Amino acid sequence: MTLVRTYRALLLAGFQQAAQYRVQSLLWMLFSIVRPVIFLAAWVAVAVAQGGDIGGYRVGDFAAYYVCMTFVSQLVMAWNSHEFEWEVNQGRLSAKLLRPLHPLHYSVVDNVIFKLNTLPVLVIILIAISLSFGARYRTEPWHVLAFIPSVILAAALLFMFNWVIASLAFWATRMRTANTLFQRAAFVFAGQIAPIGLMPGWLQALSFALPFWYMMGAPTEILRGAVTPEQTWLILGGQAAWLAVTYVAFLSIWKRGLRAYQAVGA
Amino acid sequence: MEVRDLRKIYKVHERQTGLGATVRSLFKRTFKEVPAVNGITFGIEPSEVVGFLGPNGAGKTTTLKMLSGLLHPTSGEARVLGYVPWERDDAYLRRMTLLMGNRTQLVWDIPAADSFLVLKEIFRIDDATYRRRLDELVELLELQPLIHKPVRQLSLGERMKVEFAAGLLHGPEVVFLDEPTLGLDVSMQSRIRAFVRELNRRTGATVLLTSHYMDDIVALCRRVVVIHHGRLLYDGALADLAERMAPYKLVAATLRDGATGRDLSLYGEVVSRESGRVRLRVPRAEAAERTARIVGDLGADLADLTLEDPPIEEVIDRVFSGDHPFGEPAREREAALTR
Repeated sequence: MTLVRTYRALLLAGFQQAAQYRVQSLLWMLFSIVRPVIFLAAWVAVAVAQGGDIGGYRVGDFAAYYVCMTFVSQLVMAWNSHEFEWEVNQGRLSAKLLRPLHPLHYSVVDNVIFKLNTLPVLVIILIAISLSFGARYRTEPWHVLAFIPSVILAAALLFMFNWVIASLAFWATRMRTANTLFQRAAFVFAGQIAPIGLMPGWLQALSFALPFWYMMGAPTEILRGAVTPEQTWLILGGQAAWLAVTYVAFLSIWKRGLRAYQAVGA
Repeated sequence: MEVRDLRKIYKVHERQTGLGATVRSLFKRTFKEVPAVNGITFGIEPSEVVGFLGPNGAGKTTTLKMLSGLLHPTSGEARVLGYVPWERDDAYLRRMTLLMGNRTQLVWDIPAADSFLVLKEIFRIDDATYRRRLDELVELLELQPLIHKPVRQLSLGERMKVEFAAGLLHGPEVVFLDEPTLGLDVSMQSRIRAFVRELNRRTGATVLLTSHYMDDIVALCRRVVVIHHGRLLYDGALADLAERMAPYKLVAATLRDGATGRDLSLYGEVVSRESGRVRLRVPRAEAAERTARIVGDLGADLADLTLEDPPIEEVIDRVFSGDHPFGEPAREREAALTR
């Protein structure tokens, strides 16, 4: 109950703050959907050039895939590793560490506020893209129901993964390399560059074993209705398992990180 | 508060810049060890206001960071309010605060009053207590016109006052103040001092204060702890600091017209000479005898004579420059705490 009251206060203050940066938030959201839209346009062009079909994916399937991918990417987006590096280096983290509330909670609130602020515009844009490219969804009601826990697990997994990377800032002054490695890996294995179904078998197997696909590709496939109930259960299980592993890793790294924290600049 | 043999050795990471070096640094790193706090021992009683003195890099802020739970020490022990600070128990965090001059903990884009409401929930302050404390802080710090403006629109001094309120809303029993008047004008420094004094009187909070402004220390602290190069040099009454650390006194002699040229160097070391006013440094043990000689020898040529301790700034400067007898009181207190 106390945590609920704290979250309510943080959300109120956060919304007031975000109100002053609405345009910036919208621009940030627009920048982040440019890449999937470019990939959509590229795959559509290739599909049309090859007679309208690549590996079973037609133009409408690509459109559905990238519209869902864009939607999921926005819902699961996390940027706390960038922010945390800045906070550690500028000494801003110290103010948070002096309070009886884990710094993670402030990130949860920032994250939720950004998404709630940008979601309405995003949905309008995605409906427009869907209509323009003739997106073909095979989504059934149970897919939508399964999508909800899947996207929540994906968001939590990406968020915690970001915190694992963020916590490395306790030891390394600059975290850009680790972030870049993570983003490049996610780019390939999460299904951003292409649907996993179009990749060679070994790459598919690797994607299913690594955590990245469970962060974006998996809920995308559920939302566009491309998975069976059995596959959905496997996906949810994989997401829960990776979330547990990531959370335990975070707790361990955070505890060690606090011992190494040098509170520079503060 | 009890601190025993507290040490903090910083391991400073040495590496080259660039992508390759960054990747390598994730696996293999080289460090240089820099001792910031080198085995200090002291204790502070509840409700005491203690000045923590030392030049830049002496280890003051590092000590405060350890005592507030931000830093883990390399070795040593500390207990504040019965807690080991770096275990970061939530109950401990609710009972202490660390306020650092020029550092903000408030959200810049919203009024301080809204940040206060967030702090109220984080520190679990009940409604009645929150209203009472806020009213007190608003009154003491004259915050009424400030707390409804976005923090970024406040001047440095105004922001510092609001930061004080934010850091004290939860009614901490231990207050660590690190350079609280840094960068503030004389009038605002004076108000902050008055506020800290009143806070200590009203709430009985224990205060450990660092400041480069000796006026802060003189106004607030009867006791000071002096550290240099991470080691404790002196722990005792501020009034005794001059006696312990500066083995001399200052004689100011004002000569009458016609005698302004008299040589006084045979009575002590002439520190300054302006028209008829001569300042002499004399050994503390011989101060009375030399003063009597001056009075006797100069007779009617002397218009005025005063004998005083050197200014506290001068004493501190001597301490930090290493020109002092080493702090026996500090060692005595260390021995007492160890027993």
